[in-house]
Amino acid sequence: MTRQPKDLNGTLMMSRRGILLGGATLFAGSIAASLCPTLALAAVDAGTQGQFMKLSNLLIQHQLNPAVGARIVDMASGEYKNLAQMLDAIIAIAEKKNAAQVEDFFADIPDGELKDFAHWVISAWYSGCSSEKRNAAVFTYEEALTFRTTSDVVTIPSYGLSGPNLWTRPNVPLSAPMPRF
Amino acid sequence: MVTKNSADVVIVGTGVVGVVIAEQLLDAGHSVLMIEAGPRVTRAEVVENWRNAPLGVKGDTSVAYPSRPWAPHPMGNEKPEDAYLQLSGPDSYAQTFIRYAGGSTWHWAGTSWRLTPEDMRLKSLYGVGRDWAIDYDTLESYYVRTENKLGICGPSDRGLQWPQTGARSAPYPMPALPFSPGETRFTEIAKSLGYNNIPVAQARNSGMPYDGRPACCGNNNCVPVCPVAAKYDAETALHRLEKKGATLLVDSVVYKVETNAQNKIEAVSYYDQHKESHRITGKLFVLACNGLENPKLLLMSKDDRNPNGVANSSDQVGRNMMDHPQLTLTVTTKEPFWSGVGPVVNSGIMETSQGSFRSEHAGAYFRYNNFARNRFVTFAALKKGLVGKALDEEIRRMTACTADVVAAHEVLPDPNNRLTLSDKTDWLGLPKPHIHYDVGEYTRRSAEVYSLPIGKRIAEAMGATDVKISPKFNQSKHIMGGTIMGNEASNSVVDVDCRSHDHENLFIPGGGAMASTACGNSTITMVALAIKSADAIVEQMRGA
Repeated sequence: MTRQPKDLNGTLMMSRRGILLGGATLFAGSIAASLCPTLALAAVDAGTQGQFMKLSNLLIQHQLNPAVGARIVDMASGEYKNLAQMLDAIIAIAEKKNAAQVEDFFADIPDGELKDFAHWVISAWYSGCSSEKRNAAVFTYEEALTFRTTSDVVTIPSYGLSGPNLWTRPNVPLSAPMPRF
Repeated sequence: MVTKNSADVVIVGTGVVGVVIAEQLLDAGHSVLMIEAGPRVTRAEVVENWRNAPLGVKGDTSVAYPSRPWAPHPMGNEKPEDAYLQLSGPDSYAQTFIRYAGGSTWHWAGTSWRLTPEDMRLKSLYGVGRDWAIDYDTLESYYVRTENKLGICGPSDRGLQWPQTGARSAPYPMPALPFSPGETRFTEIAKSLGYNNIPVAQARNSGMPYDGRPACCGNNNCVPVCPVAAKYDAETALHRLEKKGATLLVDSVVYKVETNAQNKIEAVSYYDQHKESHRITGKLFVLACNGLENPKLLLMSKDDRNPNGVANSSDQVGRNMMDHPQLTLTVTTKEPFWSGVGPVVNSGIMETSQGSFRSEHAGAYFRYNNFARNRFVTFAALKKGLVGKALDEEIRRMTACTADVVAAHEVLPDPNNRLTLSDKTDWLGLPKPHIHYDVGEYTRRSAEVYSLPIGKRIAEAMGATDVKISPKFNQSKHIMGGTIMGNEASNSVVDVDCRSHDHENLFIPGGGAMASTACGNSTITMVALAIKSADAIVEQMRGA
């Protein structure tokens, strides 16, 4: 059964699609997915992990699962030799602006290594992967933020959100509110 | 009696064709031994393979089904020179199929359009291609049995059924699945142009359990795997067959069909995954490896009595390779369509596949692909450099307001579209298949003067602000023609029961026997032919 990190009230809850899925086969499958076997986590110190989540929360104003963040920062620690300095540098830019949201400070990140890294972090959370390529590392599937932007309408493939023949409904206009996530 | 080395009937392949025949023979009291080249896996394993694949390659079905060294099948990450399928010609016969227990229905969409009476008489009516050796009325009762066997749902309104010509002697066992909001809107738009977008008959449980499988609950993952088996796939029947007494050998690659002095089939030989050879004898043999592996195996099995290959006195084995070449129009719209609600293919415009124009060019079938769009648009949105609310809104807009409309064409049987044995070999040392392919002027002309003009009108009516059209034909993975059916042994491989003209105890049912492709997906016709074969085999075994 799939679990979502927290609901909007901060209470751990079972996902609706998790309830709908049911069945021993999918139970086993969902557990396996949550373990994310494509990644074996190496040790990234707690300080770096904390800074990474702090940066992620500055770049993305949504609920972010620290377990997914741990997978991303583990990959980043191998790819970016000066990871700690980049985390500190971007956080300092945001703090200097007293940023409450990414729009407040993103333009101040200088082009080049720092901005590329900031985009990579955002891409990792939204796509759930390290890149678009076939050999990309997978951080998460069902918690990739791309699916959260459409969660009021579109199925995450393999996780049905309706029920038998229950997908007929009025089309949702683009002006409908963005789901809160 | 069945043993590990012998049975009344030996079936090579465990896909839908082999499984349907096996069950009928078991029910008739015959022993059945089935041989599968690839592994047997659980549904959970396939689902997890797919979920754990990177977002950017989720459109490649092979990520869910890694091939085994001894049973290679096409994988999306192959270099052409290393690929299992060696390809040449103006068009690429790039297929996906899987050598796993249960076969390629693991990843089919379940789409089940019947042929029309006209589809089976192209030569008589339009002067092109071949006529079938049987007519629609002969096939109709086998279609009904197929629809009940696989659990194919469809509309009860005769005006929404396909085909409109030709009889239908029984209703579908389940009602049609409902349309999603996007499909409903697409149907309205098609209607405004004079086209009827009708519910597709599909092997998916509609609103109820069927055959021990649950109702579809819109996981939108029919391709590459239904996570709950609401869609029929042949894997769902394997346990039942074993309970009925079938023996199933997996990871066993048949590499030779052996004839005796009477030119009957005596045995098949296979390699296990340790490259050790084994021999299986039987009274009757069925090759159900798919439309590409069947001709490969027959050509590999040549002997002194059959110097061109088994069942190949006509020299037609491996010729007439066909598919449904498709072109995709990726449409960006102002109004949201929201693909990705319900099954992945749920409707189609079929009437555009029919008409007197078929004397000049191919017909085409149009479908609205109902795959969730996130995986197609996410990286494009990210590359725009957006952040925050702008990024969220752009992903949401692109997911809602892009759609794929696919035109799937028919092709004509052409003996030059040919599978031969490559001089390149696989892990076991067996030759890889080489396929030369050209969709032909008949199909190209359709794209120029017929299908793409219709597709562009549909896109315009959808309110398209941008339309991107595939630069070349892609294959639909509907492998047909390589062991073509006919009345004459001189120009066809199998008779009307898919029995080899050359070997009375060898049956080669499935897509390879199809003498025309029409535009609709081939599996329902493959299975109808398999059931017809099974009737003939039971009758023949009774005589034996």
